[in-house]
Amino acid sequence: MNDEEMLTRGLRSLAAEMESVEAPEAVEAKVLEAFRAQRKVVSMPRRQSNARYWLVAVAAMLLIAITVVVFRWNTGTVETPRQAKQQESTPKLNEQQPSSPQPVVASDETTNPLPQRRKPRRIHAPASRPEMAQVANHVTNEIATDFIPISYMSPANLQEGGQIVRVQLPRAALVNFGLPVNMDRYNEKVKADVLLGVDGRAHAIRFVQ
Amino acid sequence: MNLKNDLSDSELLRLMLAGDEEALALLYRRRQGGIYRFALQMSGSKTIAEDVTQDVFLFLMREGHVFDPARGSLSAFLFGVARNHVLRRLRVEHLLAPLGDESDDDVPLVHASSELCPLEDLTRAETIESVRKAVLSLPSKYREVVVLCELQDVSYGETAEILGCAIGTVRSRLHRARALLLAKLRPAVEVEETGSATVKSARCFA
Repeated sequence: MNDEEMLTRGLRSLAAEMESVEAPEAVEAKVLEAFRAQRKVVSMPRRQSNARYWLVAVAAMLLIAITVVVFRWNTGTVETPRQAKQQESTPKLNEQQPSSPQPVVASDETTNPLPQRRKPRRIHAPASRPEMAQVANHVTNEIATDFIPISYMSPANLQEGGQIVRVQLPRAALVNFGLPVNMDRYNEKVKADVLLGVDGRAHAIRFVQ
Repeated sequence: MNLKNDLSDSELLRLMLAGDEEALALLYRRRQGGIYRFALQMSGSKTIAEDVTQDVFLFLMREGHVFDPARGSLSAFLFGVARNHVLRRLRVEHLLAPLGDESDDDVPLVHASSELCPLEDLTRAETIESVRKAVLSLPSKYREVVVLCELQDVSYGETAEILGCAIGTVRSRLHRARALLLAKLRPAVEVEETGSATVKSARCFA
């Protein structure tokens, strides 16, 4: 038997001797424990990421909702003058329709002797509206009457524009426009919007509560 | 359980990566012995062998998706990972650094036609221990081919996959490794033979 064969036998003996050698069971326990820990570690970020996504989604929805509310609120605020302008333009349009040269003033000779100071009648109210329909302002929670003409109002003046001025009047002024007055609050003041034409003259007034 | 025992390594790996602990346990019990023995024969340290075995399967848990069945068996993949871990540990701990510096040209080749039978008088236990020490004293590139081809009974082709070299390289390294082993084992045998001859002479003269 030569050296090579002896070496081969020695190597085979060594291999056979170690054939039954295995890693201690503690290693398997550590590996399995690490596997369980890895599964937990892997699953935890997923939960966190999902929660994060949900949080971001909810935050985005809240932001959108707040944006919409703020936008609508601003739009409502802006629309207040628009509504006023619409109400300004309403008498203009309605005045163009009647054929009578003075459609605004009622001819109630018995109640008011002065022809120019006759009891003004509310004009331009649509048929579907009650006579004293009140316009609700959603933003300021104000309730206002329709504009009541103070004097003869030329449509040409209104077409050129005008402005509304908020004033305070004695509550007794309501009587002049044929509106009921609570006598208990007779001395108090009432808010009113006065429609001024381009010439600076008051053309109409509405009372605000 | 029985059904999973019939599954291949690749299928067990797929199940393990999907979170199946039982598949990992089966794969571990199927492959841990070879990995542990390889690490033990490469390092000579049970501590390193245990650490490497654990590291190999931890790596498999984390990076098992990089295994490509088309490139080789899972066993070869695990041996390759174990080899890298063992060499890294040995580099760090410098356990075999002085022995690994030996050059191939410094080692005299042993002729197979030598008339001496240096290992025949050694007992089996002494032979195993001598061979084990001789293997451990080999440079790492020769030690790993001896451990894989001679002790782990891995084919040359699979060894080439593990080491990332050609089969011819494996053969040449193995040839050189065997020559180195014989060279390392010869002095002890010669001493024993010398001792044995002395005893015979003493008997004769007695």
